[in-house]
Amino acid sequence: MRERLSFHIKRDSALHRLNPLTKLLLVLALILSAFLTPFYWTPHILAILVIPILSVIGRVGREYLSTAFRLILPAATFLFLMQAFFHPIGKEIIFAFYFLDMTLESLMFAFGNAMRIVVMVSAFTIFLLTTHPSELMSDLSRRGLPGQFAYVIISTLQILPQVQAKAQTIISAQRSRGLETEGGFFKRAGALIPLIGPLVFGSLVEVEERAIAIEARGFTSKHVKTSLHEIPDTPTDIFLRWFLTTLIAASIGLKLWLS
Amino acid sequence: MLEKIKNNFNTQTWVLIPIAIAINIAVGQIVVLLKLPVYLDSIGTVLVAVLCGPWAGALAGALTNIIWGLAIDPNALPWWPVAFFIGYMAGRMAEWGFFKSWWKVVVTGFVVALTAAIVSTPIAVYIYGGITASGSSFITAYLLETGRGIWQAVFSTNFLVEPVDKITTAMISFAIILGLPKRTIGGYPKPEQVEVEGGADKNQMYIAIGVVVLLVLFAAFLLRNVLGG
Repeated sequence: MRERLSFHIKRDSALHRLNPLTKLLLVLALILSAFLTPFYWTPHILAILVIPILSVIGRVGREYLSTAFRLILPAATFLFLMQAFFHPIGKEIIFAFYFLDMTLESLMFAFGNAMRIVVMVSAFTIFLLTTHPSELMSDLSRRGLPGQFAYVIISTLQILPQVQAKAQTIISAQRSRGLETEGGFFKRAGALIPLIGPLVFGSLVEVEERAIAIEARGFTSKHVKTSLHEIPDTPTDIFLRWFLTTLIAASIGLKLWLS
Repeated sequence: MLEKIKNNFNTQTWVLIPIAIAINIAVGQIVVLLKLPVYLDSIGTVLVAVLCGPWAGALAGALTNIIWGLAIDPNALPWWPVAFFIGYMAGRMAEWGFFKSWWKVVVTGFVVALTAAIVSTPIAVYIYGGITASGSSFITAYLLETGRGIWQAVFSTNFLVEPVDKITTAMISFAIILGLPKRTIGGYPKPEQVEVEGGADKNQMYIAIGVVVLLVLFAAFLLRNVLGG
């Protein structure tokens, strides 16, 4: 299990300094243009050129590459191979291996599809690498997102490592008492209840206590709360957001016009 | 409408949701560790749905996938509508009184599975072109290869995989609720939805487990027929 629970890398770059909402809009623009474009090569250009350049601008090039190799490429490769072999389009077989066959059409289809997924996932990765979750949440709540949502996201990110640590402790404790977590199917299925029972009950006990604690800190108060951190929103941000909105509108319009 | 959504949420709901999301993810990881052929990554969602209501369940489900994507694996993000409807449907079934005894819980699990299968089909088809990065895609690929249409192939795969997972999820959630003290349950918005009818009969539980085992065998039989024939 991972020790660090967010992708965020603390650095100073043009991308880090942008307002979180601007970056979110950038991600949306990248994904929509990859999925809606009428040109075959758009997702490829985005994945191979635009997103790596963004990662360099954000000074997270190396971290982006490592995430890409660990998470994005394996899934995309699997997707590509499965679709290239199994998508039933095209007639002329260019490559065959036992019952597997690949046509030029299915190869092109699989490549385009895998690239779209790469664009979608890596755009989000860039966003996560350059934006701290609490920065995003405080900016969104300043713009009117109810405070409860911000609470849920931020406290989940805090609670999750604790619950995972608790799960590890329970697994070790039950193993030391002789619970078998390996072996036949029924043995493994039988180990499920002794493992998740203590975890779930142990976590649910905290609910009431936490509810009283945050209630005492004015959680349901309707007054406007002030924030210690100011999230900058510069004219550049506003200009970029206009530009990206236009881009999104244009790609939707182009799709509707051509279809 | 807005009032109906609002009555799902009290302070205890807001506190339960993060814990439920953490439970979803941690139990999902335990199941991977035990190498069981199910996901069980929506136990927390179902708990929120039956204790607080459909909208709270839907929110917990959607946020699970969003946070899973934010913190662990971005590939989980596009599936948030599936989790949303799992939570919503579990909550609705509980509202209709289908979370009060073992056999009703099995029905709930089945309905939730059907919902999940229906919702995930268009996501798999439109975003991934039918074949996703999960292991069950081999079944889809096989069905495509034998000349089924893409929608049919994806939906049949989901329909084969989901019921076992979701019925087990519902049963484990019910067992957890049986184990919670009444005082704890009373603090949530909808404690009356989980008042157990006529005591939790052990025999009923065994019958319910039997149903799941039969379902597994049935799925395996179908699978063999499909792949063999």
